Amino acid sequence: MKVNIKNFAVIFTGTTALLTSASFAGFTSSGCVYSVSSSAGSGSQTNTTVDLSPTAWMNSGGWVTAGSTASVTWANNVWGWNPSTNTGFMNANIVIRNNTGAAQDFVFTAAMNGTAAGNQTLASGSIGGQFVNGSGSLGQVTSSGPLWSALIDGSTVNSQLPNALFFAAPFQIISLGNFNFANIAVSNSIGSQTAIRFSLRISAGGEASFTSAFSFQTIPGPASIAILALTPLFGSRRRR
Amino acid sequence: MKNRSIAAVASLSLAVTAVGAHATLIPPTFGFSLHSAGSTINGSAGDFGSTTNVSPTEWFFQGSCSAMTGTSMNWAYLVDPDPFITGSLSITNESLIERSYIVDFSLGITPPMSGSLVSGQVSGSLTDSNGSGGALLTSTAGGAVYTALADDVFVRSLMSNASHAVSNQYGTTSFSGGSFGQPTAIAGPAINNTIGIRYAFTLSAGDSVSFSSIFVANVPAPGVMALGFFAGAFTRSGRRRMR
Repeated sequence: MKVNIKNFAVIFTGTTALLTSASFAGFTSSGCVYSVSSSAGSGSQTNTTVDLSPTAWMNSGGWVTAGSTASVTWANNVWGWNPSTNTGFMNANIVIRNNTGAAQDFVFTAAMNGTAAGNQTLASGSIGGQFVNGSGSLGQVTSSGPLWSALIDGSTVNSQLPNALFFAAPFQIISLGNFNFANIAVSNSIGSQTAIRFSLRISAGGEASFTSAFSFQTIPGPASIAILALTPLFGSRRRR
Repeated sequence: MKNRSIAAVASLSLAVTAVGAHATLIPPTFGFSLHSAGSTINGSAGDFGSTTNVSPTEWFFQGSCSAMTGTSMNWAYLVDPDPFITGSLSITNESLIERSYIVDFSLGITPPMSGSLVSGQVSGSLTDSNGSGGALLTSTAGGAVYTALADDVFVRSLMSNASHAVSNQYGTTSFSGGSFGQPTAIAGPAINNTIGIRYAFTLSAGDSVSFSSIFVANVPAPGVMALGFFAGAFTRSGRRRMR
């Protein structure tokens, strides 16, 4: 079979560009790290990780102060790259409890370390939750600033529940509502990590629980798109 | 002799107090069972996490169970054997197919109650955790998602024939599942051994749900019982008059 040099060049360039494009579109990850800080004091942290695939992990863990005066419990999946949806994402089921006799501040961050490059990154996500007042007094959940934030490389790309203020009667539950955002352009790349952050104050004997998700999709650069456009052209040349 | 008697009584009193104090430090039995896809895992909640005494009568159970393939579950409950259960349960269906779950939490109570006033509530949130484009939570076979139990027998249920859906990718919806006995607790049964909360639901593949719940049982105050007695007597006499 005679190899046409011109066609070979097109095949080589196209294959290289597509491979590059594929690696650019993916989010390479090395798992998830967690941090908790609270006015209730320092705590000990545990986390169990189960590998779902080479780029996906299921985590279950918690943070608790001595005497369980305050605690955070989480279950969280991180997917560095999901080929079925062409996205990377992380989710979090989280419960934050204040067993002290006074209001306490909590900041919880789940961060997926990794990098991704592309022409643009699109982000989607959501949060919903509820508050249980397990005390005999009026209970409160408040935040100074956003209660929930999605971050890329430490910068907030979306936030929800600004200056939250919710009340619950003794031994009652209130819904904190649900908040969604979809496909907002946030940056050109991910240099080190994506993260979900909860920052809130919970009254004595209160408990807040949430389900949440944050996803990101990198769009291939123009060179890759151009190569994709050239592929049918190459096919038509061969047929001729 | 008198002093010796006083000392003996004081010692005995202190010993009784010490035994009493020690008794309150024994955590109540708080068990769970998770049933799904033909498998059951059950045990003491304390064996799957931590148990902490946070007040003279209240205990905090925090734990997780991912031993069942395809399911991740965690919980945080504050309980009082006097009794109440309040807290949160989260489940993620890690499998590739829709799954039905029955999750029971059961608390041993002391002392037994010859009658009770009960109240309860449930609320939650549902998230498309895998980005499939949607999530669905339904009550299983037309039943209720939340059922309050006393001695393993039905007391009240909430979220009957429930169906909650998320229709956007990575979206979340929250739901209020209703309440009973709020703000005024309603008459409940005699309770001898346990109170509990049962969650029965079906959850779409790859998605997460969180429930926050309360179930409280109080002993009716004597005045309330008397009022109930008189109310009954009044009703009976009223009926007689109508005849």
